[in-house]
Amino acid sequence: MIASLARPGSSPLHRLAAAPKLAGLAITATALFFVDDPRLLATAFALGLTVARSTGAHFAEIGRDLAGAAMALAVLGLADWLLVDGATALAVVLRLGAIALLAHAVTMTTTTAELFEVLERLFGPAERLGLIDAGRAALTLTLAIRFVPLIVEEAQAIREAQAARGLDGSVLALAVPLLVRVIVRSEAVADAIDARGFPPERAATAPPRPPAIRPEIEADTP
Amino acid sequence: MTTRDLGLVALMAAVIVALGAVPAIPLAAGVPITLQSMGVMLAALILGPRRAAAAVSVVIALVALGLPVLAGGRGGLAVFAGPTAGFLFGWVPAAFVTGFLAMVLEATEKSTLVRTAQLTLAAIVGGIVVLYVCGIPWLAFVVEIGLAKAFMASLPFVPGDLAKAIVAAVVTVKVRQAVAIERK
Amino acid sequence: MPLSSLRGAEFREFDFAHVSPTGLTPRPSPSKHRAPRGRPRVVGEGNEMSDTNPERAGGATGVDPRALAQTIVFSGVTVVRDGRTALDRVSIGFEEARIGIVGLNGSGKSTLLKCIIGLVKPSAGSVSVDGRDAVGEARAIRRATGFLFQDPDNQIVFPVVGEDLGFGLKNHGYSRAETADRVEAALTRLAIRHLASRRIHELSGGEKQLVALAGVLALAPKTVLFDEPTAHLDLKNRNRLRDVLQALPEQAIVVSHDLELVADFPRVVMIEAGRIVRDGPADEVLDHYREANR
Repeated sequence: MIASLARPGSSPLHRLAAAPKLAGLAITATALFFVDDPRLLATAFALGLTVARSTGAHFAEIGRDLAGAAMALAVLGLADWLLVDGATALAVVLRLGAIALLAHAVTMTTTTAELFEVLERLFGPAERLGLIDAGRAALTLTLAIRFVPLIVEEAQAIREAQAARGLDGSVLALAVPLLVRVIVRSEAVADAIDARGFPPERAATAPPRPPAIRPEIEADTP
Repeated sequence: MTTRDLGLVALMAAVIVALGAVPAIPLAAGVPITLQSMGVMLAALILGPRRAAAAVSVVIALVALGLPVLAGGRGGLAVFAGPTAGFLFGWVPAAFVTGFLAMVLEATEKSTLVRTAQLTLAAIVGGIVVLYVCGIPWLAFVVEIGLAKAFMASLPFVPGDLAKAIVAAVVTVKVRQAVAIERK
Repeated sequence: MPLSSLRGAEFREFDFAHVSPTGLTPRPSPSKHRAPRGRPRVVGEGNEMSDTNPERAGGATGVDPRALAQTIVFSGVTVVRDGRTALDRVSIGFEEARIGIVGLNGSGKSTLLKCIIGLVKPSAGSVSVDGRDAVGEARAIRRATGFLFQDPDNQIVFPVVGEDLGFGLKNHGYSRAETADRVEAALTRLAIRHLASRRIHELSGGEKQLVALAGVLALAPKTVLFDEPTAHLDLKNRNRLRDVLQALPEQAIVVSHDLELVADFPRVVMIEAGRIVRDGPADEVLDHYREANR
């Protein structure tokens, strides 16, 4: 499992449900694109900092999470300054910075499970339009989350094995065996999913169930 | 989608994530490249249009779920509003077009060299042209620099992406020699 | 003794004239399809197994495995995959509580197992389980027939143990409350309740295999198919799995390179190049298998 960027806590933002947080974020972010006044944008940025800090995370942690974004923003701000002008650069950096902070505040206070539920609810309308099969989409996501650490480990093991053979740093030597293994594994995974009764049957057609074997026997099993 | 497709899509999404987690590998010229964007090309060349588009959609969904799945441990909603979000969402059409072209262009009876060239072309059109067409306008919009300057700002990334397209094609030919897999 | 002569003489294919191709007709009488003609059987009509060895037959658990055992019938099954013949006109019936399957890599063991729950579709012939066609009625068969894969990593779908155990139950339409109950019971049964909220990624190979088995047992199957269950386990975990297997009240068909695992089974089948070449009590078949592959 990959560790989520979410952090446990009990701040007001933590207690708020995922859907209103996401809706609020979407509205705020969109609105900020219509604001050009640097004073308003600076206020928004300060608000972003306050909201992000209100989650209980320290600025150092927030900075670490957003380091990549901050660097990109700095480069773009510089480009803006050189190519356009200082005022635009300032507006762009403040606006994107504010949005990044607010978005990250939502990410930090919402568990993957909560976000997953929102996503599943969004699958509903898409399913009615015939775009996707919600059950399959949800399983695909779960499966990807389940297999990321396994495949990262596999990739590292392959790199170590190649390094031992003096092939260190060869993209081919990593990618080819990794992909072949993944394709072979995906077949076994699909078989196992089928064997476990996927896709789910509709409740109406479910035949009577066998009785559960109760753990009377537990004393005898190791 | 069959269960087999579902498994392939999920695991290929996991590969794209994994390629973002392995340290950058120095390419021939000694320039280090991050492998994640090559993972998108690979998924497309190997799986074909629909499954590849599904696989990159899964990665994007994982980003939205707050997981640090992008290269350098980036993830979460902040990515979606960032200046490069267009390149992220552009993965979906890029993967679809690359996979579609791979399906149409690759003549399996031809030599390895010809097939590699055909797949490289597919990866360039889908993975570079289509991707940049999605990424540059968004960059121009959020950074307010205009299309022309956004285009100029993206040019330095083209040589690296060309190299990735070639490597992805070579890898794909080798992988498909090892396992039979139909594009769809 | 050369194998070819064995195949021709003692190990003739069964007479399946009375079984319809779809396997949908009433169950064939056991005495007819159980064994090749002219060969003494160890597992017979009587109750030798529970009489002579209640332990391994599941007697220790107080559940008679024969009450759960299903009748699995292969009629002239040929499987061709990627141009290779994995199974070659296999006709055989299984109804014992414990059946071992041995053979070299690529001999068709796993394919045989996968045919039972319709994961592999025969190119010719048919497989039936308690009279149900393995392809046409795969869902019903999978409800009563669990499958433990060689690599538990391929079988476990969810990132957390407790969630994963509910997967099969959810697929088969169990309610939330019932699912929770059965997950709890399965964890208790294998003595792994302490793993319920652990992440799969943090478990050892042995723990993963038990979690995968718990996911199978949660559905209260009549039969569990084991595909080389000890291949990825260290000695300690392998012994633990053997103990679990011995105490299992369910019917078990076990494909294994680990010959000791099936050594006390009443019936072991040896496969070679997609054909059944030996079928009989464990000691007899395993002796032959060891001899043939020295």
